[in-house]
Amino acid sequence: MLPEALPEIAEADLERFFQIMQAQFGYDFRGYAPASLKRRLGTVLKRYGLKDLHALNQRLLAQPDYGERFISEITVSTTELFRDPSAWVAFRLQALPLFAQAPHLRIWHVGASTGEEVLSMAILLKETGLYERAHLYATDIDTYSLAQAQRARYPLRLKNLYQQNFAAVLPGVPWQRYVKEEGNEMVFDPALLERVRFLKHNIVSEAPFASFEVVVCRNLLIYFTPALQDQVVTRLVDSLMPGGILMIGTKESLFWCAAAKRLVAVNETERIYRRRSL
Amino acid sequence: MTERPFLWVVAGSAGSFTPARQFVQEMPYRPQVAIVLCLHRMRKPRVPMIEAFSRIPYWQVVEPQDKDPIESGKVYLAPADYHLLVEREGYFSLSVDEPVHFSRPSIDVLLESVVEARWPRAGAVLLSGANRDGAWGLYLFHRAGYFTAVQDPQEAEVPTMPRAALELFTPNRLCKAHELVQVCLEALSL
Ligand SMILES: C[S@@+](CC[C@H](N)C(=O)[O-])C[C@H]1O[C@@H](n2cnc3c(N)ncnc32)[C@H](O)[C@@H]1O
Repeated sequence: MLPEALPEIAEADLERFFQIMQAQFGYDFRGYAPASLKRRLGTVLKRYGLKDLHALNQRLLAQPDYGERFISEITVSTTELFRDPSAWVAFRLQALPLFAQAPHLRIWHVGASTGEEVLSMAILLKETGLYERAHLYATDIDTYSLAQAQRARYPLRLKNLYQQNFAAVLPGVPWQRYVKEEGNEMVFDPALLERVRFLKHNIVSEAPFASFEVVVCRNLLIYFTPALQDQVVTRLVDSLMPGGILMIGTKESLFWCAAAKRLVAVNETERIYRRRSL
Repeated sequence: MTERPFLWVVAGSAGSFTPARQFVQEMPYRPQVAIVLCLHRMRKPRVPMIEAFSRIPYWQVVEPQDKDPIESGKVYLAPADYHLLVEREGYFSLSVDEPVHFSRPSIDVLLESVVEARWPRAGAVLLSGANRDGAWGLYLFHRAGYFTAVQDPQEAEVPTMPRAALELFTPNRLCKAHELVQVCLEALSL
């Protein structure tokens, strides 16, 4: 057997998997786009040496405490500091000035993963003098990623990439202002996280917990079917104050989302939108 | 939803760009066909690949966004740094799952998704490349009954990728770079 070979996922087992995830752990994965979900399941099966999804289902039933760990394995945590630098530049130039006079700035990172995205935001707010007025919320369903996010330490092998992105967004700003090195880790200035709260929150099943001036939800919608994208985007737009900003991933689209009507593009290429006033 | 187009996948890595572009230049229009180019590319290209496809006579060249419906008459360029997958419902999905064979987009991921989606009609050709991404996917593709072609390793700029495929199975066609249009038309006529 070649290393590429993944166990096959039978439809009946998949349906059972959905039922178990829902009943046992309260997660509804039915709206996740099937192609990548199946591949992901295949990868997890292989990692555990399980021969098919049926075996995983048995395990989920037998070991309920295994749920959190499993969520962490099945979700995709890929992220970067200032991922897609041009989007951050646009956000800085076209979105942040809208809040220059605002008494407070509540920002929600949905699907915050290991925290690089909210750190990027915190750095931008520091540089523009808005940090002290900000309240940042970083949420995810993966508690393992959230735990990592709170440490704000990342392997040194990522330094080149992160530093390049940083320089592209903040030319001339010294990297050392925010990052030092310890052993084989980059350590971000803990002051960046002073105004950040990390919470477990499932955007598929839970209502927003506040209203926000800015909602950032990038590279999460790609994992959903068009129908679920539509529901989730409605939820995101509902959570925005009139005039608030929504930022999604640069390859994501609002094509399937009725709530797009309630938004105007601030920068279509960079997927930055603003909620209409009425 | 309209009828699903015939999906023709052109895939490769190092040494595949020139033959792939030539193919798109020369491929005559055929109705009910969509072409997908899955070429490994730099993570952060200085010039986006799409700019190399500015004057294509018969096809509209686009980088698909997530959940774009798969439509006839288009050439889809897999975007840098995302996997491109085909969904049974007739649209693309993008993902940022880990690279496969150090590659994102990965050819294996794309081809497997077409098989998994049971796309009604499809074919694929695997070109020059320096790693073995695509070999396994093309084999699954072949096993599922789709038309497959592999660039002759003798002629490929970098033979690793076609060779890896040929070690697994015998494709319908072994072809040279200048035969890509002919091979695609052949697949369409089956
Ligand atoms: C690919 S990461 C994106 C990280 C970051 N936003 C970025 O673009 O760099 C997707 C994140 O969404 C999280 N996620 C998946 N399903 C979710 C859900 N239903 N609710 C909240 N977060 C979810 C995953 O755990 C993962 O951390």
